[in-house]
Amino acid sequence: MKNLSYFPSTLRNFAGLLVLIFLTAACRQEQSTQGDATLGAVEGEVTAQLTDAPEVPPHIGLRHNTKVIVQLEVIEKTMRLSDGVDYTFWTFGGKVPGKFIRVRQGDLVEFHLHNHPDNMLPHNIDLHAVTGPGGGAEASLIAPGKSTQFSFRALNQGLYVYHCATAPVGMHIANGMYGLILVEPLEGLPPVDHEFYVMQSEFYTSGKNGEKGHQDFDMQKALDENPAYVVMNGSVGANAGANAMTVKVGETVRLFLGNGGPNLVSSFHVIGEIFDKVWVEGGSLINTDVQTTLIPAGGSAIAEFKCEVPGTLHLVDHSIFRAFNKGALAQIKVTGEDNHDIYSGKQKEEVYLPEGASIQTINSGKSAKPAEIIPEKSTEERMAAGKTLYSHNCMACHMEQGTGIAGTFPPLVNSDFLLARKDKGAGIVLHGLQGEITVNGVKYNNIMPAVSLNDDEVASILTFVHNQFNRQNTLIKASDVGQWREK
Amino acid sequence: MIRLLVLLLAATPAPAQDMKVVPAAVFKPFFKGDSTATAVKAFTMDTKAVTNAAFLKFVSNNPQWSAQNIQRLFAEAEYLSHWTSAFTEGLDHQLANQPVVNVSWFAARAYCQSQGKRLPSMAEWETAALSAPVDSRYQNTNDIILDWYSRKMPEGATVGSVYRNQDGIYDLFGLVWEWTEDFDRVNFSDDSRNSAELPAGLFCGSASIDAADAADYATFVRYAFRASLKGNYTGRKLGFRCVKSL
Repeated sequence: MKNLSYFPSTLRNFAGLLVLIFLTAACRQEQSTQGDATLGAVEGEVTAQLTDAPEVPPHIGLRHNTKVIVQLEVIEKTMRLSDGVDYTFWTFGGKVPGKFIRVRQGDLVEFHLHNHPDNMLPHNIDLHAVTGPGGGAEASLIAPGKSTQFSFRALNQGLYVYHCATAPVGMHIANGMYGLILVEPLEGLPPVDHEFYVMQSEFYTSGKNGEKGHQDFDMQKALDENPAYVVMNGSVGANAGANAMTVKVGETVRLFLGNGGPNLVSSFHVIGEIFDKVWVEGGSLINTDVQTTLIPAGGSAIAEFKCEVPGTLHLVDHSIFRAFNKGALAQIKVTGEDNHDIYSGKQKEEVYLPEGASIQTINSGKSAKPAEIIPEKSTEERMAAGKTLYSHNCMACHMEQGTGIAGTFPPLVNSDFLLARKDKGAGIVLHGLQGEITVNGVKYNNIMPAVSLNDDEVASILTFVHNQFNRQNTLIKASDVGQWREK
Repeated sequence: MIRLLVLLLAATPAPAQDMKVVPAAVFKPFFKGDSTATAVKAFTMDTKAVTNAAFLKFVSNNPQWSAQNIQRLFAEAEYLSHWTSAFTEGLDHQLANQPVVNVSWFAARAYCQSQGKRLPSMAEWETAALSAPVDSRYQNTNDIILDWYSRKMPEGATVGSVYRNQDGIYDLFGLVWEWTEDFDRVNFSDDSRNSAELPAGLFCGSASIDAADAADYATFVRYAFRASLKGNYTGRKLGFRCVKSL
């Protein structure tokens, strides 16, 4: 904690305030842990503005220690957990995660917790930002239809988890009772363009992931730490797709990240970004240039980055099956101009043939190994060999009967495009083909890779294609292919 | 207004409350620290929770327990607050046969005394609640409790509509929470109004350390609920039934 006694109680002069903050900052370097709890006086009173994820209440910044009144209501309600899947959540404020609370170091927080009369259960709250027994839980156990009040001084800055701590604690947390409270440092946080609230947690449902209908809490799965759902902001897809967070290129983003658990630790990662800064575990230690940051169950982190290029960023738990199979994924859509200096986008797409020979062929072309001398074949031999070679090299796209796939892979049957070529199509097989072509009046725009075959094999395939699909009576020789290859 | 209601209800007198015997048993407290096993003598218990109709009759005979007259010390402002609107819109059979809620511990106790009965002790209530359901809808009481916690029970259910146990007693779970004589016993304190004495055993890790079975979360919730109460509290889901010693 910063020694709050340095903070003035009756300050009127803003310049003086800055000087004192400077003193406080200087003091902090020597005394970075909690000092004595001599508190500055509190002036004025405000009611905290609370927000649902992913929104964050406005920046507080410089001001006196203030009495901040927080009104938070516990509501038990059935809501969507995933498409077609309902769950009876126990909530702080009607949503999961609970309302985001924002105060400033030195503030006196007067906390009012209300347990809605239609609720079934008693609840309380343990705020990790509280210095005191049970984090407030001891003073806040209330029956349905009751309100309770307690006050605490925000001694330490940082981002803190709060949660219900009524027995059985695990069940109350597993049903959605957690949220974040930010205690801004005296000097405030540096300005950014966007702040978002994202909290991970898991759900232990009686049915498997995706099983439709209302799901009950499964204590055995919770004991086994084997959740059916791991989600960001309370439900699968809560902030993905149409509900994704949105920012513009060039803007800075600060994520207030929490992990409600109840069991799992999050390996939090944003696909497509690097965290310029991370307030490790939501405290005062700042790490820079971070790819993935751990968020303990019942812990937090603050991460910042600048969105340099457009696209969709995926916020995931990089324990990756949780992200893509259990729901732990949120999205930020970044719109604006491309910046090819930073990221080019797709420059080229080619078919990759992993056999070494094909790579050699593609890369070295004319300087291939000297071909072995292979005797020329008869039409029948070429047809037989060509049929086999066709099935291995061509059929996947051009299909067994040479019909292709309309609009995607052009047909070889009665192909005006093929018959118009003086080299009988050898160049296409040898060198590949890319870009828009018209075959029998239909346009195609795709990529055919160069096929790694020797002259003899190409001659057989071409003979097969011309005779089988185009009613030609043609025998193409390996020597013809050799000549075309040289061109 | 109350008089009018009594006249209306008189047309459908509440049947005398059936009672059934709960056999003697040894009750093992949920919390290990909560003394050792307790011998519970056999007793008789109301088969169903006390209804609005029955409680209205009690109030009309004992006007000091009406919402207008009751002392705040004995019940807070929400006492019987569900009657004013619902009961004035004509006789509602449904409501008459629903369990009475929004009653304080003091009022529940006075009602039982007026019947020559008393509130069950927590050990008695918990002993009665151990009896398995005979209703085919439920395999065991835990299923009922979980459905109840998940809010899958119909709103406004009447007494006797949830399940019957092997002793012939209805709805110990699934309908309303029920007062016990020593609901504040779990607090280890004589005075549950003293918030400093709220049960340390119910918070965070200590709860599971002291519990006889940490996985018995359905029971945890019941004990936590009791711990959150005070004698003059009322609740929209809190009613009671009476017992009698044999």
